Amino acid sequence: MPMKDTPNDGMPSGALPMLILRILHSGPLHGYAIGQRIHLLSSEVLAVEEGLLYPTLQKMLLKGWVIAEWGISETNRKVRFYRLTAEGRKQLKSEVAGYDRVTQAIQSILRTA
Amino acid sequence: MSEFFRRIRYLLNRRRLQAELESDMDFHREMAARAGRSNFGNGLRLREQAREAWGWTWLDRLVQDLGFGARILVRSPGFTVIAVLVLAVGVGVNVAVFGLFNLLALKPLPVRDPESLVRLERHAPDRYMDGMAYPSFAFYRDHTKTLAAAMATLGIPPMQFEDDLQPVSASFFTPNYFTELGTAAAYGRLLNPVQDGSASDAPTLVVSYGFWQRRFGGDPSVVGRVVHLNKKPVTIVGVLPYTYAGLGGHQPDLVIPIAQQPYFIEGSKVLNDPLAPSVQMWGRLAPGVTAKAAEEELRALTTELHKQNPKQTWEKEYLQSSPGGHQQVVRPDLYRSAAMVSVLMVLILAVACANLGGLLLARAVTREREIGIRFAVGAGRMRIFRQLCTESLLLAALGAAAGLALGCTVLRIALTAFDAPKWLSATPDWRVLAFAGGVTLAAALFFGLAPALQIARQRQYKTIARKVLVGAQVASSCVLLIVAGLLVRATQHALYSDPGFGYQRLISISPQLDQHGYSPAAATAFLEQMQTRLRATPGIRSTALVWLAPMNHAVAREDWVVDGRNVSVYPNQIAPGFFQTMGMPLLAGRDFAPGDKHAVIVSQSLARIEWAGKNPVGQLLTNGDEKDLVIGVVGDAHINALSEDDAVETYWPIPEDRMAGMTILARTASDPAGLPVEIKAINESLDPKLFPEIRQLKIVYREEVSGVEKIAMSVSLVGLVAVLLAGIGIVGLVAFTVSQRTKEIAIRVALGANPAHVLGAVLRQYVWPVAIGLVAGGAGAAAGSRLLRRALYGVSNLDPAGYAGAIGMLLLIVSLAALLPARRALGLDVARTLHHE
Repeated sequence: MPMKDTPNDGMPSGALPMLILRILHSGPLHGYAIGQRIHLLSSEVLAVEEGLLYPTLQKMLLKGWVIAEWGISETNRKVRFYRLTAEGRKQLKSEVAGYDRVTQAIQSILRTA
Repeated sequence: MSEFFRRIRYLLNRRRLQAELESDMDFHREMAARAGRSNFGNGLRLREQAREAWGWTWLDRLVQDLGFGARILVRSPGFTVIAVLVLAVGVGVNVAVFGLFNLLALKPLPVRDPESLVRLERHAPDRYMDGMAYPSFAFYRDHTKTLAAAMATLGIPPMQFEDDLQPVSASFFTPNYFTELGTAAAYGRLLNPVQDGSASDAPTLVVSYGFWQRRFGGDPSVVGRVVHLNKKPVTIVGVLPYTYAGLGGHQPDLVIPIAQQPYFIEGSKVLNDPLAPSVQMWGRLAPGVTAKAAEEELRALTTELHKQNPKQTWEKEYLQSSPGGHQQVVRPDLYRSAAMVSVLMVLILAVACANLGGLLLARAVTREREIGIRFAVGAGRMRIFRQLCTESLLLAALGAAAGLALGCTVLRIALTAFDAPKWLSATPDWRVLAFAGGVTLAAALFFGLAPALQIARQRQYKTIARKVLVGAQVASSCVLLIVAGLLVRATQHALYSDPGFGYQRLISISPQLDQHGYSPAAATAFLEQMQTRLRATPGIRSTALVWLAPMNHAVAREDWVVDGRNVSVYPNQIAPGFFQTMGMPLLAGRDFAPGDKHAVIVSQSLARIEWAGKNPVGQLLTNGDEKDLVIGVVGDAHINALSEDDAVETYWPIPEDRMAGMTILARTASDPAGLPVEIKAINESLDPKLFPEIRQLKIVYREEVSGVEKIAMSVSLVGLVAVLLAGIGIVGLVAFTVSQRTKEIAIRVALGANPAHVLGAVLRQYVWPVAIGLVAGGAGAAAGSRLLRRALYGVSNLDPAGYAGAIGMLLLIVSLAALLPARRALGLDVARTLHHE
């Protein structure tokens, strides 16, 4: 049977592109480093498997939010670094704003209900 | 840069970008391994998933599927060749027929603005006539505002060119005809209103390209030459182009300005006679005017015309317009016949598809293992289904290409055989290509979908699909074979049965006295003299006068309702002695005597319908306001309705004032071949102004019949092809059944079963589908052949012999097709078969 990749590490659906955009905001990174950074910054709560990470990155390339450039990794290997574009920055802003609105709304329900 | 362009750029640099992604993911794994975490995902699968974001996966799969499909087809060339051939026949027949329809009714004539051309014909609620009087035409032409131009053609019997033995087809055209169509001359000039508009202009003649080639060997210096037409000098001013396209497919060899008609037909008053329906009218709609609006305006003009001369028009007459910018005028009945033919075409395609479906199903068995393995290694059901559909499409594309080539070749041969106008070309245009594509797609869906679904579902190969296929094939072939059989019988009937009169030794001589302005008295005198001279000629036994000679150019018909039944009555006017000359038996009563009035002789069938069981002689028959006495009954003779078996005839005496319209019939003692020359000489001595049309009815009859013969032959050929296809299909299916049940058969034989029982076990499942197919096909043919009625030349559309013959032949072929492979089952080596499994 075809394999079904369901990485279930508590990642809210749809949040990954926003997280990647936020991580890349501080500078270009290669794919593995993006995953590691998310893992570390979330105090090791969130894990990003390659089955989810790379399709998402391809989608972001398609949307034009990031571009890929050749660079040298810390292990001295030629590898692609993903860099945020102007469009990506705009997207990050709108996604963060949207996310804030939704979480506030959810929290206000949780507080008052 | 928009998302779309990024997608395209990705497609163009796909290989590099995919390699880069692969390198990214490899690096990811290396790093993960360093960190001590192993990853168990399937790398290839993960990469594919990542790539899907770009939306090009379908293309990769299509290329894969096509490549795989091609390899599969190449690996079994026998199957591929048969499948492509079967499909090519199905598609080819359809393409050829559609191509013909396209040429006739869809392709615009290569003339200026063909869309605005209309054909205008006289209609009334109970009447229709394609010709109108020239004065009426002139009235419409002079008063209409919705037509930018009006053209007319006046057809006449072939004319005598110089002293040639063979008369040449000719027609009078209004001088604006060629200028309106924008036709350019190959040499010289064509007619124009300035030089050819008036009777006082010098007589001019335009010749067709074909006639110019045949008669003058393509000599350009004929332009300006004076020749003689019906003995009148006339100047050839030009040659029509090779690819000349005439309105309504009208392509005469000689074209003369209509103003010159009285010059060539001496004494003719046709152009001034408001009652002689002589010309065919064409119009060009003014810019922005619809055909409907033009009809409305012309209806008002007809009313005006009716006020001026009530006799010139019928009650409630109006002009009906039909699109005229095609080879054939697009009248509603054209669509009706097209619909009938297309049903037959769909049947052929259905036979081909059912056949192919059977082949694919049978092949599915040999691929069972392969497909099972592919499921086992993780292929999705959808993926397998798509793969199988792609294979079908590939097969369909091959079949379509072969079918297109076949269809166009057939069309090309047909165009040459029927001497079609040269501008008609068999090269497919976009309509034919689109049609071929559509037909192929439909065929691929029909023959490819069912097997693909079954295989992809991995169901047991249910016999129901095979039964449906067999039933469909048998039913479709049955219809085709019955229709073909009926047409063949009709041809035979027309060729070898007695039409009720002895046409073999008859000559009709039509002097067209009314065209030359003869008075009734002068006509009577001329006809009398002519007949006396003819009777004195050795070789001529008897003569008679008739209004509408057998197989006449014009026909009169009345539609009566007797006891709620529609009866087509063909009235005629005859002089005494007609039946004897025609060789028709007088069954009761007597022939006309000179001076008979208010008397009528009826055909046997009419007598039976009107006065069943009573003596018809002495009865009264209503004729307009009067009642006429039936004085005699003659045998049925469909002299002007060869193809209509139900036709009945009435014969009336010739009214004195109609004498100028009569034709002379002469019965000869032996073959009439040499007589026309002598008859011409007699006519010459009586009135050299006349150029009678002399027709040997034997030859006319053969020409009438040969058209049907050609059609019947084509249909039989198609029917035969369909039956062969069905035969091949059934052989394949039964062979497949036998191979599937080899083991069972072997066990039965080993246990001592009777060979007949074994055969029965194999074939029983097909008995019902074949029976149902035969019944459905027979019923379908019976329903459909009512439409064929008129084309059936005296054969009933429910002709039992035709049906029995077709069904018997089909049954024979089906039985043979089933028995041949089934017999193999009996020759099985039992021991080896049982060991093998």
